[in-house]
Amino acid sequence: MPLLVLKNLSHIYHSPSGETEALKDITLSVNEHEFVSIVGPSGCGKSTLLSILAGLLEPSSGEVIIGDQKLAEAKDLIALMPQRDQLFEWRNILKNVILSPEIKRNKTPEVIEYAKKLLEKYGLKDFMYKKPSELSGGMRQRAALIRTLVGAPKLLLLDEPFSALDFQTRLAVCDDVANIIAEEKKTAILVTHDISEAISMSTKVVVLTERPARIKTIYNIELDRTIPPLKRREQKSFNVYFRNVWKDLEVSNE
Amino acid sequence: MSEEHKKYLKKIKIHKIVVLIAQIGILLLAFGIWELSAYLEWSDPFITSSPSRVAISLKDLYESGDLWKHAGATLYETIISFLLSTLIGVLIAIALWWSKTLSDILEPYLIVLNSLPKVALGPLIIIWVGAGRGAIITMALLICVIITIISAHTGFNSVDKEKIELLKAMGASKFQILWKLILPSNVPNIISILKINVGLSWVGTIMGEYLVSKEGIGYLLVYGSQVFKLDLVMASTILLCVLATLMYLSVALLEKLINKSFK
Repeated sequence: MPLLVLKNLSHIYHSPSGETEALKDITLSVNEHEFVSIVGPSGCGKSTLLSILAGLLEPSSGEVIIGDQKLAEAKDLIALMPQRDQLFEWRNILKNVILSPEIKRNKTPEVIEYAKKLLEKYGLKDFMYKKPSELSGGMRQRAALIRTLVGAPKLLLLDEPFSALDFQTRLAVCDDVANIIAEEKKTAILVTHDISEAISMSTKVVVLTERPARIKTIYNIELDRTIPPLKRREQKSFNVYFRNVWKDLEVSNE
Repeated sequence: MSEEHKKYLKKIKIHKIVVLIAQIGILLLAFGIWELSAYLEWSDPFITSSPSRVAISLKDLYESGDLWKHAGATLYETIISFLLSTLIGVLIAIALWWSKTLSDILEPYLIVLNSLPKVALGPLIIIWVGAGRGAIITMALLICVIITIISAHTGFNSVDKEKIELLKAMGASKFQILWKLILPSNVPNIISILKINVGLSWVGTIMGEYLVSKEGIGYLLVYGSQVFKLDLVMASTILLCVLATLMYLSVALLEKLINKSFK
């Protein structure tokens, strides 16, 4: 049974100057432990889709099912990782990563223990009581990812989480995040405009059309998943996938 | 430590000393010329007073017990209006942040109240509140509170939208967003409002005392100038400088303490 099902999802934005169709008839299912990337021309509605999944927007029509529940009842199963890390500067790293259970009034000793274990496992043990400003960009991103993991969600929503990083860090953090998500056996949906990133990290790449976004093509990516994403870029079929996705985007730009 | 670094440190030290000497020098020079001009009768000390006459005037005030009475009254009014205006202003700003409808409704009124010179309301306030402490505090409060509301509200609204969405995605209530994000991220903003309000509450208090004219440093200033006791006017001005600076420094100290636990 798929973990996430989107059924005929549509969304219309309203503004005083009129209405804009952002999403049209999106139907998609995501299995457990899949890593799905959503790419599309800029401004096509990728982020709208993610906002709906995160429960920030009500879809105009259609349904989102998680497991066997409706989205509104399954909010605890989902965690969002925003574009920039958005760590709170006035909280130390530990207090930052337990933000979600704190909001849900579920800050038990077990949760704190779990948070500490994750920080320790992913090399932030010595930074637990430091303020975010004392961490490097890559470490901050890792802390932001751990913050999404602490609530033990099943589905992670990643909203271009690497876009604020410089290129070198970006590649490293990419590997880092892919590794942590695989290690913790999570399902993830990544929104990005970086084709290489999408192909190298994912099991599935969904290409959207120009606005209103529809699903254009879905690629099942069969790269060797035992090696990190950066290495996957060297595999032969990587280029084939890249060319295809590139062409899809180019055509939809016309 | 390299030679170059030693030289660098020395340069900084010398710069600091030069600045300090110049600062003290200007003060001494100003007071010196002032005293000298009165002594040599370049100017009429009856009009310009002189440091020694100011000192005598301060001593008289101190010995008669009037110094604490007037300084105390002014300080009390300033601190009360400073605290009240900050508290009320921030609370109203929270209400405006909470309800966009409310802030849209009140926007034109805030603009008008902000542009209005609050001093103009002085006579009205005295009639309505009565010529006493209440009127002085109301005056100072009015001067500070509008700008507090506007700056605090702007600060609340400029919190990163993505941070709010992050909390919403975690299922946060509006109160949690306020308590966990809006207020803590606005601590630096609120401190800078405090700094502005220190100055404004002094303006309000002195203006109020001019109008009410019963006690306080503002009263001393008006009284001194009316009976042509310029020594008293100068002494009050200097007293005012000292008190206002002390209050500003205590807010600056508070800022340092908060920043330490905040950053």
